[in-house]
Amino acid sequence: MMVSLARKTLLHEWRRFLPAMLAVSFATLLQLLQAALVLGIFGGAAVYVSDSNADLWVGYPGTQSVDQGRPIDGDIASLLEMNPQIESVEPFYLLDGDWRGGHGTGGVSVFVSGVSTRPGAMMFARVLTPALRARLAYPESVIVDPADLNKLGVQVGDTASVNGHLVRVVGTARGLRALGGADIVTSLQTARMLDPAPSDSGGPTYLVARLRHPAAASSVVADINGHSGFGRYQAWTAPAFARLSVLFWLFNTGAGAGVLFLAVIVFVVGAIITSQALMAAVAASVNEYATLNALGVGKRSLRWVVLEQAFWVGACGVVLASVLAALLIWLAHSNNVPVAMQPSVAAACLGLVMALVAVSGLMAMRSMQRADPATLLR
Amino acid sequence: MPYSNTVIDPNPMLVAENLTKSFTSGQLSTRVLDDLSVEIGAGALTLISGPSGCGKSTLLSILSGLQAPDHGRVLALSESLQAMDAKRVEAFRLHHTGFVFQGFNLFPALTAREQVQLPLQYMRLSAQEITRRADEALAEMGMAHRQHLRPAALSGGEKQRVAIARALAKAPALLFADEPTSALDAANGQIVIDLLHRIARNHGTTVLCVSHDPRLISHADRVLTMEDGRILDDSDRGAR
Ligand SMILES: Nc1ncnc2c1ncn2[C@@H]1O[C@H](COP(=O)(O)OP(=O)(O)OP(=O)(O)O)[C@@H](O)[C@H]1O
Ligand SMILES: [Mg+2]
Repeated sequence: MMVSLARKTLLHEWRRFLPAMLAVSFATLLQLLQAALVLGIFGGAAVYVSDSNADLWVGYPGTQSVDQGRPIDGDIASLLEMNPQIESVEPFYLLDGDWRGGHGTGGVSVFVSGVSTRPGAMMFARVLTPALRARLAYPESVIVDPADLNKLGVQVGDTASVNGHLVRVVGTARGLRALGGADIVTSLQTARMLDPAPSDSGGPTYLVARLRHPAAASSVVADINGHSGFGRYQAWTAPAFARLSVLFWLFNTGAGAGVLFLAVIVFVVGAIITSQALMAAVAASVNEYATLNALGVGKRSLRWVVLEQAFWVGACGVVLASVLAALLIWLAHSNNVPVAMQPSVAAACLGLVMALVAVSGLMAMRSMQRADPATLLR
Repeated sequence: MPYSNTVIDPNPMLVAENLTKSFTSGQLSTRVLDDLSVEIGAGALTLISGPSGCGKSTLLSILSGLQAPDHGRVLALSESLQAMDAKRVEAFRLHHTGFVFQGFNLFPALTAREQVQLPLQYMRLSAQEITRRADEALAEMGMAHRQHLRPAALSGGEKQRVAIARALAKAPALLFADEPTSALDAANGQIVIDLLHRIARNHGTTVLCVSHDPRLISHADRVLTMEDGRILDDSDRGAR
């Protein structure tokens, strides 16, 4: 039953607050969509990790991103198999290839993934159906992303060459798109055959492992990294390795700086528009506020009214923008535009916008200074 | 003597001692209040009248603690406003003073009832007490039947009555009004000054009203006539 001046004014004079709410919405939408695009595009750097269901990745020490892997000693597999926490281990070959399709597409640089063809294998378990994986068992078979068919100049069933060796496209799987270039998936044997410069050891680029208790991944990683004497290697949990890869690309390409730059611009512009609208709302009722002050309502209480208005404007704007963003991201996703979102990133975007709102509220609070009751007596 | 104080009030609510106030604009300094002293008692409607620009509003704002004088002091309810810091003056106003202005200064978003309840919320009163006081004040101003209307739906006279109810609900010892009738027609002006007079009588409130409207003079218990920052004439009707 308490009269909330802030909310009543907001409801009654919503037109006055609409610009501020739209500014907040717009800022939220921009931040969310920017984040979704960045996550979607640079998430491509980690497709190998995120499309597989391994808990653990072991690769060359100091590797900064999945695609930067170098061969490791295949014997490390036996060290992993000795660990009672580890249920199964599987090799993964990742190498560069020069693709020559038909129809005058010239050379296309591709990433060749050599994966196990055993049923229930971990690599690309999220995008390869068991039937599709089984087809890879035939030598020289490859699978590509349907969205890459044009770029590669082939249809399913066509042949092409990789590093001078003949391959045949036996199927497509969505979700294989890599950053720059295309991903092609093949069997371990075919991948080794396609390798232009097989390393002496002939070791895989990575060993991936499934744990009996996935929740224990961090402690197993610490355990494995603590051993030495089995050659040079480093282990990561799958999420950590994926994040490492995304961040590497984000900052290596300068896109990270671009994202921060845009975020700052959106923050500043949003804060200016929002605070201006709040100030206009105060200015419109400056005599009423001055009257309350004459009646002894403290300036501090009156400033709270502005802050509360800012909060409600922000809350409405954020809710509106979140609904819109969810809709747009879904739309983009169903049109093959690379977008992705994580709860933590969404929360960070919304947090940033509410900080914008708080700053605007604090700026607008200063306009309450003009509510001087002495000016009412003239 | 420039004026004669015909009533000796043993316990005046409001005492001004040697008030001086000047305003400087550019090189020019104008003295708006010139060594002005006055005592104002409770339970009466005191009217300050005088030509435009003679310092009436300035005097009212100093007496009510909205502005500080250059020299002199104000004793309100036996407390010196000049001895208080800004926060304490605010608290003093919250608990002891009501204001009515020429413009009604009602929030467009609030109903008449909410306008009256709003300042009460800051006085740490219970919810029932707030409701009770607001409803009583509105009823006393004859606005109970209009209490759910917003200012846009009220006439000028009704708006001013809501504004008076807002001041009255605080149960202030001091009620200040600056030109409360000048935005109203004659009939509504009569109603408003009558209401202010009744508040002084029925609640024992010290009502200090500034107006240059000569028609109000007959409604006042005491009329102070100002000119050039001084009080020229003090006529007490002793009507109390
Ligand atoms: N803040 C200020 N700055 C400068 N001059 C001021 C200020 N306030 C008042 N004055 C001047 O002081 C003089 C007295 O003003 P005041 O408002 O007290 O007059 P008034 O008697 O209320 O007049 P009116 O009947 O027209 O309302 C005027 O000449 C005015 O210009
Ligand atoms: Mg005046």
